[in-house]
Amino acid sequence: MTAYLLRRLLGLIPVLLGITLISFGVMKLAPGEPTDASLQFNPKASLEARERMERLLGLDQPLHRQYLRWLGRVARLDFDRSFRDGRLVTDQVLERLPVTVTINLAALLLVFGIAVPLGVFAAVRPGGVFDRLTTVLVFIGYSAPGFWLALLAIASFGVTLRWFPVSGLHAIDHEALGLLRRGLDTAWHLVLPVGVMTFVGLAGLSRYARSGMIEVLRQDYIRTARAKGLSERRILFHHGLRNALLPIITILGLALPDLIAGSVVMETIFSIPGMGRLFYDAVMARDQNVVMALVTVGALLTLLGNLLADLAYAYADPRIRVGRR
Amino acid sequence: MRRRFVRYAAALVAGLAAPALLAAQSQPVSGDALVVSSIGDASRLLPLLATDSASGDIVGLLFNGLLKYNERLEIVGDLAESWTVSPDGLTITFVLRPNIRWHDGAPVTAEDVRFTYEKLIDPSVLTPYSSSYQLVESVEALDPRTVRVRYREPFAPALESWMMGIIPKHLLEREDLNTTPFLRRPVGMGPYRFRRWNTGELIELAANPDYFEHRPYIDRYLYRIIPDQATSFLELLTGQVDLAGLTPLQYRRQTDTPYIRRAYRKFRYPSFGFTYVGYNLQDARFADRRVRQAFNLAIDKPALIDGVLFGLGTAASGPYPQESWASDPSIRPSAPDREAARALLAEAGWTDHDGDGVLDRDGRPFQFTLITNQGNEVRRQVAELVQQQLRALGVDVKIRIIEWSSFVHEFIDKRRFEAVLLGWSLSRDPDLYDLFHSSKTREGEYNFVGYANPEVDRLLERGRRVFEQEERQRIYREVHRHLAEDQPYTFLFVPDALPILHARFRNVAATPIGIAYNLIDWHVPPEEQRYRRMSP
Repeated sequence: MTAYLLRRLLGLIPVLLGITLISFGVMKLAPGEPTDASLQFNPKASLEARERMERLLGLDQPLHRQYLRWLGRVARLDFDRSFRDGRLVTDQVLERLPVTVTINLAALLLVFGIAVPLGVFAAVRPGGVFDRLTTVLVFIGYSAPGFWLALLAIASFGVTLRWFPVSGLHAIDHEALGLLRRGLDTAWHLVLPVGVMTFVGLAGLSRYARSGMIEVLRQDYIRTARAKGLSERRILFHHGLRNALLPIITILGLALPDLIAGSVVMETIFSIPGMGRLFYDAVMARDQNVVMALVTVGALLTLLGNLLADLAYAYADPRIRVGRR
Repeated sequence: MRRRFVRYAAALVAGLAAPALLAAQSQPVSGDALVVSSIGDASRLLPLLATDSASGDIVGLLFNGLLKYNERLEIVGDLAESWTVSPDGLTITFVLRPNIRWHDGAPVTAEDVRFTYEKLIDPSVLTPYSSSYQLVESVEALDPRTVRVRYREPFAPALESWMMGIIPKHLLEREDLNTTPFLRRPVGMGPYRFRRWNTGELIELAANPDYFEHRPYIDRYLYRIIPDQATSFLELLTGQVDLAGLTPLQYRRQTDTPYIRRAYRKFRYPSFGFTYVGYNLQDARFADRRVRQAFNLAIDKPALIDGVLFGLGTAASGPYPQESWASDPSIRPSAPDREAARALLAEAGWTDHDGDGVLDRDGRPFQFTLITNQGNEVRRQVAELVQQQLRALGVDVKIRIIEWSSFVHEFIDKRRFEAVLLGWSLSRDPDLYDLFHSSKTREGEYNFVGYANPEVDRLLERGRRVFEQEERQRIYREVHRHLAEDQPYTFLFVPDALPILHARFRNVAATPIGIAYNLIDWHVPPEEQRYRRMSP
């Protein structure tokens, strides 16, 4: 098992290197330079000023040297500074990570808490009223554009009904509130974005749960359980669900990088300073140190998530265990 | 009799009370907060490094320059109490106001000015503004309040360059300006002091009680970052934002509700910039001035303004807004005249020989591609209207919309275009050297249309060397005349700036320089104040 794990971990290194190399290449192939934002179409900025800034930022170096320099720093866990505001990329990320992880974790838990039961109950009688009703509902969430749902939610719950704030994370006088009030204030601001993200996320998972469950309920051992006279509840949740959840482990593993990758659309509409906007703004500004740092960490988490899913799978399903038998 | 007395008394009371009431209304009381909505976040809060508009907004309240523009666009002293330009134009001497203090209490001195200049020309500082100071020979602090700047040659835009915010030497002397923590905790001497910055969310400033003019009445300035315009508008509808920019559509159609009419005031004034169609003058067809003149006559500018900006703009006749002293008032935006345009094109050899509805010359139809950048809805619509209007003239225009970076790098910089639809927003000084001088045509420079007129070159050079306003006015009005005649661009329109502000703020007016020039004099009557008083 340890050997297997080591082999898998070592295997990650070339994949990760490849990903960074390709990202760096794509970044450089895209037209535009990090200095554009401050210099371009600014008649007060002369060509000389531009050349000077590029030299200061090391952008006049040949590409392979730029890449190797970056790689050398990253090997020492140094992601350098953002071109946009001169701060350490690590600081920028750490500042935004808590918000994004909180929102994503909340949405993920809610999605699981709602989608799995939805799928299970829909699977009991496929094609029944409940199944059809939930299908329509989750597919509305899945097919409607997220930004539109978000604006609709703001317009109705934020503007017309005034139940929740329109956007942002904190009330303006947040800092003057007591600890408890501050927590409540933030939670109150998070209701709409988390709610919309949950609604949008329901479809995929509930479909997986439903089809997994339908599959399982056709199995012989379920018939056996029924024949033994077990209660329907026990059949569904003890014998059925545990087996139906197997594919969901994979989905959970794949959701790991999603935890830190914020949604650009939601963060923009709800004015939330999260990872999605950090990444989007960095790409738009060709802020390569930030882009490369986020791509690398994202890739690493994706790879680790896959590995974790494989391991969890082996743990949950004896049929695919490696090694010791 | 008695009734008459009552009436007299009432009149008397009213007569006495009216001025008292007026006085009560105009006597400003401090307090409250101004909540401003911005699409983008600031990046570095230092005047030398502030390049985006958000950083510029904040830096403008934290730092002052030696000079500034007043509401009539005249140059007046800011930190400088007075300034003199030597008769040869080579020396400018500034005398600072007495008793200006940094927010930490240290005095602002001539040494700070010298330090600011040194950092502006320091090659290790990431400032894009260094070129404005290339002609400076020396900056000397003669005494704590007097600075003398010497130039190698006279440079009139220099005055505008001294509107750059001055930075504190005692706090930055030992810092690397590109990365110093000061960029996120700035200390200035402006009307507001820095309080906090929650990245991507909010920047809070507090009134500076020691500001040299007077303490601003509005206690707090809250800059909320709301990246989506629709969200910003919804925040407005719930009263959570006091000041925001509107789109023409929002200004005309969506803000006409009873609530907005009651709670807000809309303002409108011409922005300092213009939208234009530029032609690649190396292209033989556009090298002929008559063709450009014909296009200017064929494009119906009022129709563009009505169709795209809902009427919220002014037709342009040249690079200066009508309010500018540099604009020649005798040049009016041309009235659309398709027949005259057709005649000019015929003169240039363009007629419809084969009767297919498209003009041709030497058997080749008049066809070209108009490019513009992606993500600007106004420009896309303008391009379509221009296409339609030139089509009526018999010119076949194709539109191509290109992502910004490749638009600039692959098409503009390399001059791979036939015609381009773009906008300039310029500083208040009328110097157009970078845009129209024939030397500014290298890759990455801004005379990308390739305009070359020796007379305009001469005027632009001269305009940079004289300081007297009347002489400069004469020069730039002549530039304006040449540009209107030569039409290197078809100057289309000047869009209006459309801010909306909560009605509780008093003493606010739209002027050519905007509404915020007298922010420190804005105030809110106590009974209308919304945000709690600032804790000291």
